[in-house]
Amino acid sequence: MSGNRDKGSSQPAEAKTKTQSMSDRLGMFRMPSARMRGQGLRNQRIHTHLMEMMLHLKQTIEKNLMHLTTRHLQQDLVLEEERHSQAASEQEALLGRLMYQLVNLLQSGAVGGLGLQPSCPSLDVRRDVRGGQWAQSSRQPDWPVHQLSDLEATFVSQHLSSRGIDISALYHSSFQDYKIYQRDKYHEDKNTMGFINLGLSENKLCLDLMTERLSQSDMNYIEDDLLQYPDWRGQPFLREEVAQFLTYYCKVPDQLDPENVVVLNGCSSVFSTLAMVLCDPGEAFLIPAPFYGGFAFSACLYSKVELILVHLDSEVTDANPHPFQLTVDKLEQALLEARITGKKVRGLILTNPQNPLGDVYSRDSLQKYLEFAKRYHLHVIIDEIYMLSVFDEFITFHSVLSMESLPDPNRTHVIWGTSKDFGISGFRFGVLYTHNREVASAVSSFGYLHGISGIAQHKLCRLLQDREWIDKVYLPTYRSRLQIAHGYMTKKLEALGIPFLNRGSGLYIWMNLKMYLDPCTFEEELLLHRRFLDNKLILSRGRTYMCKEPGWFRITFADKPLLLKQAMHRFYQVLSEQKQDLIMKQLENAQRE
Amino acid sequence: MFTLPQKESKAPTTCPGPASTQDLDSNHGDGLERECSRKPDWKLPEFCGVGDPTATASSDSSHLSSRGSIIKWFWDSAEEGYRTYHMDEYDEDKNPSGIINMGTSENKLCFDLLSRRLSQSDMLRVEPSLLQYPDWRGHLFLREEVARFLSFYCKSPAPLKPENVVVLNGCASLFSALATVLCEVGEAFLIPAPYYGAITQHVYLYGGVRLVCVYLDSEVTGLDTRPFQLTVEKLEMALQRANFEGVKVKGLILINPQNPLGDIYSPGELRDYLEFAKRHKLHVMVDEVYMLSVFEKSAGYHSVLSLEGPADPVKSFPLVLSASPHEARLPDPQRTHVMWATSKDFGMSGLRFGTLYTENRDVATAVASLCRYHGLSGLVQYQMAQLLGDRDWINQVYLPENHARLKAAHTYVAGELRALGIPFLGRGAGFFIWVDLRKYLPEATFKEEMLLWRRFLDNKVLLSCGKAFQCKEPGWFRLVFSDKTHRLCLGKRSHLLTHPSVCLPSSGPRCGSSSLSSCILPPSYRCQCGCPFFPGMQRVRQVLEGKSQVPDDPASCQSQESGNQRSGGETPPAVL
Repeated sequence: MSGNRDKGSSQPAEAKTKTQSMSDRLGMFRMPSARMRGQGLRNQRIHTHLMEMMLHLKQTIEKNLMHLTTRHLQQDLVLEEERHSQAASEQEALLGRLMYQLVNLLQSGAVGGLGLQPSCPSLDVRRDVRGGQWAQSSRQPDWPVHQLSDLEATFVSQHLSSRGIDISALYHSSFQDYKIYQRDKYHEDKNTMGFINLGLSENKLCLDLMTERLSQSDMNYIEDDLLQYPDWRGQPFLREEVAQFLTYYCKVPDQLDPENVVVLNGCSSVFSTLAMVLCDPGEAFLIPAPFYGGFAFSACLYSKVELILVHLDSEVTDANPHPFQLTVDKLEQALLEARITGKKVRGLILTNPQNPLGDVYSRDSLQKYLEFAKRYHLHVIIDEIYMLSVFDEFITFHSVLSMESLPDPNRTHVIWGTSKDFGISGFRFGVLYTHNREVASAVSSFGYLHGISGIAQHKLCRLLQDREWIDKVYLPTYRSRLQIAHGYMTKKLEALGIPFLNRGSGLYIWMNLKMYLDPCTFEEELLLHRRFLDNKLILSRGRTYMCKEPGWFRITFADKPLLLKQAMHRFYQVLSEQKQDLIMKQLENAQRE
Repeated sequence: MFTLPQKESKAPTTCPGPASTQDLDSNHGDGLERECSRKPDWKLPEFCGVGDPTATASSDSSHLSSRGSIIKWFWDSAEEGYRTYHMDEYDEDKNPSGIINMGTSENKLCFDLLSRRLSQSDMLRVEPSLLQYPDWRGHLFLREEVARFLSFYCKSPAPLKPENVVVLNGCASLFSALATVLCEVGEAFLIPAPYYGAITQHVYLYGGVRLVCVYLDSEVTGLDTRPFQLTVEKLEMALQRANFEGVKVKGLILINPQNPLGDIYSPGELRDYLEFAKRHKLHVMVDEVYMLSVFEKSAGYHSVLSLEGPADPVKSFPLVLSASPHEARLPDPQRTHVMWATSKDFGMSGLRFGTLYTENRDVATAVASLCRYHGLSGLVQYQMAQLLGDRDWINQVYLPENHARLKAAHTYVAGELRALGIPFLGRGAGFFIWVDLRKYLPEATFKEEMLLWRRFLDNKVLLSCGKAFQCKEPGWFRLVFSDKTHRLCLGKRSHLLTHPSVCLPSSGPRCGSSSLSSCILPPSYRCQCGCPFFPGMQRVRQVLEGKSQVPDDPASCQSQESGNQRSGGETPPAVL
């Protein structure tokens, strides 16, 4: 909103025009009749496109079938099988691509209604890498790649809306690995051949401590208030506790105000609601890349907000003294480029400690980023979900809340949750802290849709309250276990000669497997990822973090030693195989030349 | 800052303008049903959709997006009402002059039973897997339990399948998710009005989906056998009108038992509605959140999941007479989505547990894709599985007691209303009575309705008024009788005998109301020496007795509660 509205205006006519322009800008909330008819026209246009595409699809299928039949007849039997499978996969790719385009076209009806430009999907993974921008709404280049391998998700359901199809497909492709894992989890006794998931950033180091703490009798308390409709911002007792907790652990100079706290069922929900209330569809946030893929998922799922990437480099130069360093220059440049293309940038997303890099921002850098944001009236959403997971004692984490004075307190919004720091991702608890009451109120409207059970709120309150246990039992144990696991993992990586970032925070290591890729492309990265999958090891690859350089992977180490050992064994095997293949490939190439 | 143009809009509006509506819904006190009365779009009254909150949402703020301002407006107007109540909540001992909430549809009568059950040792289990990222559809053990539970209580002819179940944090989320995956922005669902108003906000916030009201009349006309009867003709008309207006309707929302009417649809009616939806390829979302709160056995509740072939072809509409008995049990199973939650039936609205049952895998998958944002704690999932699985406790302890208490409270309030000569609907289901206070309005306007509502609040009793449910006739109120603030003594259940210690003389206020023959005393509540203690009703009575514009006519008082109103041949009593 551009603040051009006179408060005292009582002229209906004027009010009406404003309303009009507001709903124009709003896009999402449209009135029926006239616009609906407009939409109808658009649909007609899409319809024609659709028919054309169907025709094309039909022709392609026919052509391919023909091709296949003729091949069958001509082929000598020896090569038959090999070529057949090749042809089949080609066909699959082609069909998949067409199906995907169809879905996109259908969906562009909805997207068009949102005032976004429907663009053709890019299946070429490399294409979008160069562009600083990354259009959302499932036209993200990353997902279609998955979809090719599984047409089921792309199929147009006659029952779902186009955005419903979109959501299903997006979810399916984004969490495919997770679904496979859910079906076939590794278990040290029961299922030693199951998948080991080191792709998910989940803290499994202290489940014993948490289980024990949560089983204590103070946790089991039922009061009628807990079973009744709550304050949708979160129960007052919990918000109070959260304010105290954050005051203490974020080292806030003044006591935080419980009225500035909103509690929802998870940090994804907090981010999703922030995106809703800070941006209109098609507006954008800046985000340094590589970054946690959940932001992208959330941004496009409900809120249709774009993310504009601030690409960071691994290479160290004068302008880039540390690998993947975020500088104000890079922020300025990305903002400028976005503005030139007419994008309205509403904010900046920071994660501190960073995921996947593990970077912890210095107080000085933080100050600079915030000042940059202030200069351009940008909101800053700062996700501090790993704030207690800094295990290197030489590194100090500075919460944005610890600053003596925030450059722009009304535009600074902090997210925290217990999923990572306490390893209870199944608890579904996320916190927003913002000085901006407007934002807090607007987010609270979503309380119905992201509410937490009163019973769980009580348990969380007890947990956060138990400062003694946290300080004397939980955190020391947690951090020392993190250190040990991290030490184990880094030693293994060093032995393999794999470069990685050693940052002393988080549950994961950002490593470079570029030397196992030839050529060094995202296709090869994906193939390597698949190879890990084939060996029942799930890692997450750089592409899902929008890293612009192929070859980076994130590996989680916050798991039991035995499991890590097994995982590293598989890891080593895959890389050996990969190496072998590379050598073969190089030999072949050399022979050809 | 963000302000609603309260003063500005007062001038130009004649009948209930945004100003009055804002007051109204900001205060009518139901934590959940504050939303839908703020429809500033009076030009299109048939679209109770959010219409155009932009008309009233203005903002000088540079901090929120335009949609953010609208979203915030939902909160502000809602929160204000809640705040009024919460700042001055009634407490028998600490704040006996506080506000009594008869507006929020919550069942607080069985907290003693629930807290005892939830404190049993089987509830306290903590397992590592419950603390980790779940299957976003809900843990399998819970989905299995839900499937068994619904199969049993919905009397499903065949066992329901766990893979058709999606679990999330409440029916609000479910409405939101379904709206998002079934509709494009700007499309709509049909909903018979009056209806549970919060749905407006649920389908709108994320989904941008609107509701098209199928308005029901209090007057019994044509083939109707009862007031506010939903018929296929009314559905057809509303759909046609929407089509004419260029609004694309994608589905129909049915609430059964209905809120706020307390209506229960017969199998024949249900089938008619479903056939209507099938003809027009509409999805049907059946919200059965009150299914176990039918305290009058004769009411004969049937879940949509219990349907088996056309139940009663004679009663069916001519259009579906062709349906053969061999037909599938649901007319369009792929477009029928059933919702249930523990909020009402187990009096745990704060627990945030809701579930979807749909045979449509695409819909289940799409909703599950959104569950990342609408998940509930693993520990709570475990507790719910334990609760739903305890068939003995539910059947032998909880349900009989809950129904007895609901019935007693209902009987008392109904008796009071009858004594006041106030017509009402209440059919033996739900926590509320739909009350006709039209004769207390000097003019049949929503403004007057609001004034009356305010008078109640001034007398420290919070009700929900018809406008909040999109009722098209001013003067209807919903009166919730299941609050814990009242106590009723029951001769026949005689807690006085089994718990003599709880029968203490008290200095608390007496209701001073008319005679009472049946009521109950939840054991945890103190008794007032045989005198029913229902201060809310007392306040309602005070307001009405001081305000009544028309002399009471006891002859006009005909209640419709309980009994079999649907038995065709009987002359249906008019709602008066």
